[in-house]
Amino acid sequence: MSIKVLNPNAEVVNKSQALHMNITAAKGLHDVLKTNLGPRGTIKMLVGGAGDIKLTKDGNTLLKEMQIQSPTAIMIARTAVAQDDTSGDGTTSTVIFIGELMKQSERYIDEGQPTFLRRSTLLKYYDAPSLYVMVMLLKIHVKRINVILFIAYDVQKNTTKSAGAKHIGFLIKVLHLVGMHPRVLVDGFEIAKRATLQFLEKFKTPVVMGNEPDTEILKMVARTTLRTKLYEALADQLTEIVVNSVLCIRKPEEPIDLFMVEIMHMRHKFDVDTRLVEGLVLDHGSRHPDMKRRAENCHILTCNVSLEYEKSEINAGFFYSSAEQREAMVAAERRSVDERVQKIIDLKNKVCAGNDDNFVVINQKGIDPPSLDLLARAGIVALRRAKRRNMERLVLACGGEAVNSVDDLTPACLGWAGLVYEHVLGEEKYTFVENVKHPHSCTILIKGPNDHTIAQIKDAIRDGLRAVKNTIEDEAVVLGAGAFELAARQYLVNEVKKTVKGRAQLGVEAFANALLVIPKTLAENSGLDTQDVIIELTGEHDKGNLVGLNIHTGEPIDPQMEGIFDNYSVKRQIINSGPVITSQLLLVDEVIRAGRNMRKPN
Amino acid sequence: MKEIVTIQVGSYANFVGSHFWNFQDELLGLADSPESDQTFKSHNLNMDILYRTGETQQGIVTYTPRLVSVDIQGSLGSVSSRGTLYNDVPDTSVGALTWTGHVTTQTSQPLKKNLFLQSLYVEENKNEGTLRGGNSGTSDRQSEVQDKDIVESLENEVQYWTDYSKVHYHPQSLYELSGLWTDIRDFNNYGIGREAFLGVQHAEEINEKLRFFVEECDRPQGIQFIIDDSGGFSGVGGEFLEKIADEYTNIPVLLYSVRSPVSCLESQSLKMRISRKLHDAVSFSKLSAFCKLIVPVGLPSLSTSRTSKYLRVEDQKPYHTSAVYASAIHSISLPFRMEPLGPSAQLSYTCGAMDVNELVRMLAVQARQNMVTILDVAMPAPALTGFQGQQSLLENLQPLTPETAEDVEDLHALESMTVHGVFGSGDNDVALLILGTSFQQDICSKRASVSEIKDAVEAACAKAVERPRFSHLSIAQCPLPIPLPFPSIFNNLVGQNGQLLDTPISNCASKGSLDVHSVPMAARLRSTNAILPFLENRLGNLRKFGIARGALGTDLLGNWGFTKDEIEEMGEMLSSMVNTLNPVSHESSDSD
Repeated sequence: MSIKVLNPNAEVVNKSQALHMNITAAKGLHDVLKTNLGPRGTIKMLVGGAGDIKLTKDGNTLLKEMQIQSPTAIMIARTAVAQDDTSGDGTTSTVIFIGELMKQSERYIDEGQPTFLRRSTLLKYYDAPSLYVMVMLLKIHVKRINVILFIAYDVQKNTTKSAGAKHIGFLIKVLHLVGMHPRVLVDGFEIAKRATLQFLEKFKTPVVMGNEPDTEILKMVARTTLRTKLYEALADQLTEIVVNSVLCIRKPEEPIDLFMVEIMHMRHKFDVDTRLVEGLVLDHGSRHPDMKRRAENCHILTCNVSLEYEKSEINAGFFYSSAEQREAMVAAERRSVDERVQKIIDLKNKVCAGNDDNFVVINQKGIDPPSLDLLARAGIVALRRAKRRNMERLVLACGGEAVNSVDDLTPACLGWAGLVYEHVLGEEKYTFVENVKHPHSCTILIKGPNDHTIAQIKDAIRDGLRAVKNTIEDEAVVLGAGAFELAARQYLVNEVKKTVKGRAQLGVEAFANALLVIPKTLAENSGLDTQDVIIELTGEHDKGNLVGLNIHTGEPIDPQMEGIFDNYSVKRQIINSGPVITSQLLLVDEVIRAGRNMRKPN
Repeated sequence: MKEIVTIQVGSYANFVGSHFWNFQDELLGLADSPESDQTFKSHNLNMDILYRTGETQQGIVTYTPRLVSVDIQGSLGSVSSRGTLYNDVPDTSVGALTWTGHVTTQTSQPLKKNLFLQSLYVEENKNEGTLRGGNSGTSDRQSEVQDKDIVESLENEVQYWTDYSKVHYHPQSLYELSGLWTDIRDFNNYGIGREAFLGVQHAEEINEKLRFFVEECDRPQGIQFIIDDSGGFSGVGGEFLEKIADEYTNIPVLLYSVRSPVSCLESQSLKMRISRKLHDAVSFSKLSAFCKLIVPVGLPSLSTSRTSKYLRVEDQKPYHTSAVYASAIHSISLPFRMEPLGPSAQLSYTCGAMDVNELVRMLAVQARQNMVTILDVAMPAPALTGFQGQQSLLENLQPLTPETAEDVEDLHALESMTVHGVFGSGDNDVALLILGTSFQQDICSKRASVSEIKDAVEAACAKAVERPRFSHLSIAQCPLPIPLPFPSIFNNLVGQNGQLLDTPISNCASKGSLDVHSVPMAARLRSTNAILPFLENRLGNLRKFGIARGALGTDLLGNWGFTKDEIEEMGEMLSSMVNTLNPVSHESSDSD
């Protein structure tokens, strides 16, 4: 298992070891996550020590399930999770991009770059024949065969057969110089990063988000995301749900608050029964047997008022001299609760007089049995201890306002729902508040036969919602299926590299090659030949066609035609954070792990 | 009904909690068992206070603790976090329904269930529906041998708190903090815990779990919160408490901050020691800010303390030490579930019922505003044989709270004592007690009646040299039942029913659940200035390492996410706690 690599025991490691430790850890994470990527990635089933099963295809979830201990891997994981927090997707991409950047860097740092060891330089010190012999000798001693072969090849052209083996020491020094300092790469990364971000600005497809957003493009973005998490038919079904729910809560001129979409789940029926409820689903029911289980035309009172009998601070517990006295105290304290309940009943009588309307109280605080009794007798349905967030959602869904006191109740405080009903599954109760008038909050009700299915769908919906939100806020999308990465690479290699002086070029090149990890991995996960695919795709890009990868055939496709779009902000974030963390890891001089093993009990 | 919701946060808290629920489960089992004696059948304790009745989707009725437990990922050992009650479909038959592509499976090394858990499993399959774990002394030869093996395996192998738990938990109860990415040893300060709780979605998910249990309660009387405050979990708990205080304003929280002797070991490096001291100060002040009553529990060396007069505890085993703390917490919680006396009560088995709110008000609100109390325990409690017995009861009550002063005079001390299952007076009893098993039936009838205990304890208190200003006494006839997975921590002066023997009857060094079936207990919460050293140490350390100019720990506190103002506020809070108990130090001229 690659995870093992992430758990080194070294206490202090020096510079080159530190570098390699970092690279190994990054590659380890990369290897674990890369099979997740894309619509043909594998889903991972994790079986815990107790036989618990977790299924996930989400990089974010998978990272959290892993017990990572290598500080390097933790750094990368945190970056990736932060990526998820800010943009809602791209965890896997971030990890594999960082891994690939590290891999590329390793190549340059290890191999060095023979082109810089010019024969002319060496010939200043040695004549050609002696160089040849030294190189031959070195071949035996040093492992960096690639480098040496190159020199050998270079030198051979001018060889005569005399020898000069005494200056091997000097040549070894030269070879050390050849290995690049990571700093040089890092400089190149920085240049490449800036260039790529600029390129992204040009490359993105702007989407106009007026008062009526383009639903088609939103659906395409949502579908692209969902299809990487769920099988196609289900993904397509959820696409509608996700887009509609974001459009439901969207208010012009205001940032979208995804918390206003409640995600509720029921272990019941099948995944395809997942649906959008325009209104709210609460995970609890009324706690009184006489309250209606189903009510139509409901006035909804959303409140945060304690309807529980509490002992007041002064009349503390147990110094009653007689049972009568205690009763009297209790009665007095009870009265104030009853008064609050009565005010609610009065309001009900006011609005429901002369019609068949119903009245529902949804309270964030508790309601005790005597209060429930009073309410039930007045024909009111009452729910207690609602989620704090539901107070907000209810008002957005039903209208009215959330009240913190019953003193100034007016009919204007009330919201409206056409139908309120309860659904019972074993000990779990659900209350549906539906048929509301102008909902600005809604619920996605996930159904599934078991917890894995529900968790899967939940992960996917979360990502889908974020994707739609991002699109609306970015007012742009980016061509998917690897098209952006291919185009950016081409831009870096053909345009940017030339403008860079000296060795930093290598950094740019490494960065450009690392970008290819996305289409490469997509191809690999689809069981295609990576080399062929990349050659074909880059070929198309050289011709000026912005193509992506068809994961089924390996042929180039036009992502625009296929409707494969990624989020602009997700891409931007990946391009931004990948090189930053890689640079930090490359420049580490020494890793000291203190504090460990110190508190080990005996 | 006045429900209590229990919360356990952190590894050691769950060790304690696991024992606590084992006692409850044993009580439930004994009440149903035809073989058990009268005291267990009619203990007059309302278990619904702590437990909830539920129903699976198949309509099977369940009875599970009203509990939210939070621990680090992987701390549940061989037990599934979803429990076993609500799993209708065997997990293995379920593939990936939502994905048509490849599935890769990564299987961890399955953890072996120990003998005890295996036997539970077997018993359950054999005899679904009947009581679990009844070792009421009449088990046949064969199972006796088996029990011996089980006890031995527990003694040597317990690693997770689930290893010795015989309770079924509700799937909403157990929560594992995932994605911490630190070694549990590095999860050792308030800052890191706070960060872990607030990041990701942990806070929301844990709150939802609590809401699930509270919503069901008609009249929640309080939250019983056990926290392992020795490491990062106090940050988790502190933030959680703040949310609770915000959301459930009217529900009082009774907080036990527990720590194992292992966590009290001194570290070698100066830096770690400072970090530790600051952690203690910060976590205490944060935790006490959001609860109504805080009870620090956990001696640096339980085995050598005076509490262990009749015990043989191994300090390095959390399985051992947590059993003692859990017993004390069990005793303290008894009054909360005693049925208040109705007019028709023909025979009373309990007296002194009160709810959490009343306890809090009595100890922390009514007189002096001191919310930090000392937990004392006598385990086992001595028999009330005449004056001597009465004396020794008070003497045997020794603190489980660290850093307390002895022999202090406090005219304003308040206390609440629970005594249950103790034996009565009378010369014949002693003989009977020594003879032990053969007279078992008689012995049970010799348990002191409620009124006897009441008189005796009150008499003892009246004669005591240091008398608290106010004392509340709760009494139950039902002793502490010792379930099978209870560790062997009694020494050979303890008899089968927890009676104290003058001469050891057997040679074995330590006795466990096979030799001791129940134990009389006495436990007490004290609000007194004996807690001053505890408070002053924390205040002193905070000032020395955190507040003073150029203090060594300023950066550390900064790393934990505290601003200078917050630290000073904590300092002020601690110093006002000290001043409440010790006004003399500031107004020395007033006193004489």
